[in-house]
Amino acid sequence: MTVTSPVAGHDAAAPEEPVVELVGVRAAYGAIEVLKGVDLVVPVGSVVALLGPNGGGKTTTMKIVSGLMPTTAGELRLSGRNVTGITATEASRLGVCSIPEGRGVFANLTVRENLWVATGTGTPLAEVEEAAYTRFPKLGDRRNQLAGSMSGGEQQMLALSRALGTSPAVLLLDELSMGLAPMIVSQMYDIVGQLAEEGISILLAEQFARVVLPIADTAALMLGGRIVAVGDPADIEHELSTTYLGG
Amino acid sequence: MTLFLTFTVLGLVLGAVYAIAASGLVLTYNTSGIFNFAHGAQAMIGAFLYYQLQVVWGVPALLSVLVLLLVVGPLMGFLLHRFIMGGLRDTADVTKIVVTVAILLGFVSLSHWAWDPQEARMTKMFFGVDSYVTVGGVVVRYHEIICLLAAAAIAIGLRLLFTRSRVGVLMRATVDDPDLLRLNGHDPERIAATAWALGSTLAVLAGILITPVAGGALEANALTLLVIDAFAAALFGRLRSIPRTFVGAIVLGLASTYLVAYAPSEWSWVTNLRDALPMIILFIVLLVLPQDRLRGAAVRTRERYEVPTVRRAAVWAGVMVLATVAFRQLIDDSSVGTLVLGLSFAIMALSLTLLTGYAGELNLAPVSFGAIATIVAFHSGIEGEGLDARMNVVGLALGVLAAALTGALVALPALRLRGLYLALATLAFGGLVSSMVLRETQERSWFGQDLALFPNGNLIVSPLAVGPLDLGDQTTFLYTASAVFAVLGVGVVALRNSGYGRRLAAMKDSPAAAAMLGQRLPLLKLSVFMISTGMAGLGGVFMSMALSSVTADHFVYTLSLSLVMLTVVGGIGYVSGALVGGLLAGGGFALIVGSFNELSIEHPVHAETFGVLSHLFLVLTALIGIGVGDNPSGNMHAIFRGQRVLARAPEVRYAALALTTVLYALAYTEVIGTWTFSLLVLVLWLALPAIGTALRAEKILPPEAVAARRATPLELVGIDTPYPPLLAEHLDRELGLPARHRATVPAPPVADATARTTTGPVAGEEAQHVPV
Repeated sequence: MTVTSPVAGHDAAAPEEPVVELVGVRAAYGAIEVLKGVDLVVPVGSVVALLGPNGGGKTTTMKIVSGLMPTTAGELRLSGRNVTGITATEASRLGVCSIPEGRGVFANLTVRENLWVATGTGTPLAEVEEAAYTRFPKLGDRRNQLAGSMSGGEQQMLALSRALGTSPAVLLLDELSMGLAPMIVSQMYDIVGQLAEEGISILLAEQFARVVLPIADTAALMLGGRIVAVGDPADIEHELSTTYLGG
Repeated sequence: MTLFLTFTVLGLVLGAVYAIAASGLVLTYNTSGIFNFAHGAQAMIGAFLYYQLQVVWGVPALLSVLVLLLVVGPLMGFLLHRFIMGGLRDTADVTKIVVTVAILLGFVSLSHWAWDPQEARMTKMFFGVDSYVTVGGVVVRYHEIICLLAAAAIAIGLRLLFTRSRVGVLMRATVDDPDLLRLNGHDPERIAATAWALGSTLAVLAGILITPVAGGALEANALTLLVIDAFAAALFGRLRSIPRTFVGAIVLGLASTYLVAYAPSEWSWVTNLRDALPMIILFIVLLVLPQDRLRGAAVRTRERYEVPTVRRAAVWAGVMVLATVAFRQLIDDSSVGTLVLGLSFAIMALSLTLLTGYAGELNLAPVSFGAIATIVAFHSGIEGEGLDARMNVVGLALGVLAAALTGALVALPALRLRGLYLALATLAFGGLVSSMVLRETQERSWFGQDLALFPNGNLIVSPLAVGPLDLGDQTTFLYTASAVFAVLGVGVVALRNSGYGRRLAAMKDSPAAAAMLGQRLPLLKLSVFMISTGMAGLGGVFMSMALSSVTADHFVYTLSLSLVMLTVVGGIGYVSGALVGGLLAGGGFALIVGSFNELSIEHPVHAETFGVLSHLFLVLTALIGIGVGDNPSGNMHAIFRGQRVLARAPEVRYAALALTTVLYALAYTEVIGTWTFSLLVLVLWLALPAIGTALRAEKILPPEAVAARRATPLELVGIDTPYPPLLAEHLDRELGLPARHRATVPAPPVADATARTTTGPVAGEEAQHVPV
């Protein structure tokens, strides 16, 4: 299906529509069903954290929203519009900015070329570059260095820069903390917090719940392909620790 | 001095054309990860089309070039990507290579069809031979200046494209991570299509430019092999760097002209050496290339091969020999030779099952190893004179040994490198054998012995005789070939089930992990390559004995490539796949094309139709190979998986077996013909899963599937049952209609929204959906 007109959360006719909504979404890798009916809402301007242990379906949920994976049942709505079956290319042009698990950079391109690729949603290169280099002066120093030769933290900064310059409607962050030093992780989430304050809606998946609690408005606990609890982040964290500890 | 300058200019021009061809190759390889073996064939098609437009139809040269470069080249690349290459993501290297090989073979057959190879075609230089300038006593023709300028423009243009333009940067990004590119709002397929269009255009340009430079008439096979020269140049840049590729191309061009200019006149083999020069340079480059980093985690590919037990393999080997004996009773003596030939090819194909299917390495010239084994066996093992001449077992053993040792020599430079390089090395070896070894038709002194390697271009290979076993009798030969294949097949399966086989599988899946577990990968690769080429040698000697007289044409590279392709089509991870591939390559298609020729002799009125049909079959062979992209594990894999469902209903198999026996009895008593029998049995067993499922659905299918069969089809829903609102929802979903916009309700506070997500859609909401 093709959806051409941009859907930005703030401009939509009915501002109360959640920017992302999943209704009864199921998804499978071959014969193995990993999402067994997920219902999730990301209201405009809020930060929703998907928490839960490995194999719970967090990454798959992110892939569904970003359009990388098709659903087998259920509906995906962006700003109230049913866009089930959307491709990743179309989703990103509708304002879904997804930073995938691991390093969301092209290792064999330079920093500047990486930012050039980020202009696929229509923002001019100069703007993206300015936004990135202002926030991360380090990247400005290394603009002609291959992204693959930078440290993990710098690569993650570069990945995050895509969200800075292109003003997306919703930002998807999958395991931002993966493989990074604790200090870098908290720096990253500081920036995410700033983005949230600027009004960008954010859906983030994280295995280590504590780091996202300060910035999340809502937390959802995912277990075995379902969302088993939704609520205040602090309550969910309590539930999460009991889940992990088997109590 | 003038001589030196003249040859320098010639070398530079040749190098320029190589550079144009090689840069197209590097471009497509880097943007799609597919090493395009058909690149030379595309150049060939370009050259022939130019000839057709300019010489036959008299279109002005400039217009012809514009049409080819602006329309034909881009269109060819776009179509190739759209219909073939785009479907090759997530497949193993061998599948990608085989598909491009199939395109190569298809283009060659197409050109033979459209332009009769018997006819000589000359293309002229741009502005003719007489338009030239003289620089320092050297004649430089306009055409040559155009070549140099085009190469320079392309070098600069590509450099700018890759670093200074967004589409170029996106092309490089496509190789890194297509999914990430999608998340950035780009369409990797469109970018790859652009790259293919550009690569094809460069191939076409090289094809147009080279024929007048290289001299001689247009020749499909020679032009197709241009790609090997381009490979050698591209390897200078490790298949990545465009500037180094250009350097490599110039070196290649200069070396080949200097060789002709300055080699002593008593070296009669210089022309052959010149033809083989790119392959030799390719070997040298492989030797000096730095070692690759080991690939870590297994790349997820779509190929899946299951490993049978030795016991199962032994049972099937017995079945195969029995089937051969039974089938021999049905066919007349003249067809036995074709079957023997097919089995010989199957033995060669079996070497690929071990090498490619189990160990993940590639050999693109199995038939050339067969040529080496044949030559050695011929010189060392023939006893007796005339019709009584027989080959002894020592000759056969020496031939096999020679093939294995040659295999070791070929593999050595590429052992440290990735599989693709080994594949290139074998292809270069195939070229070397064709252009040097098989042209050694005159006597020459070899270490003090006067000997012609390939006397008069024709070897009479006598059949093998070991004790009472004499292969001079065709039926004995057939049974022996069948038994040899069966024994080797069981042996290969046993090898796969041994510790050695598991080590091979580990190396294929993750070289880094295998190395960390203490495997010595080069040794492992070397040993498996030697076993494999030894087997190819054995198959080659059998093939030569089956043909009894062989020429250089029996060992051409296209034959090797067809064999590899058909084995992959059959299923290169299976012994049965090797059998199917070998029989198709050796027997089947020769038989089909041959019988069309016979038919056209019998019915001269329809001769033209039959001629078209036989060409069509050759092109179809290539199409089969192209289809591998959809079914990369091969047809035998699909067939066996289909048959497996019948395990729950064995009575279907017993019935089919009984029917086969009845058909055999009918064929034996000549009530039905052999062809009818073969076709019926084939159709019966291929259709058996479908027949079985139709007859015994409740036994074969899982309960859900049986229930689904009984469920009301969507278009009949609600006709004889009540029609609740939920049904409308269901219909909408099945039809892919957008969900009805929910009535605007005031924005629920966050807590409310979350409460809703936990309970799922509220029943009241559902009720608002009324069918339109």
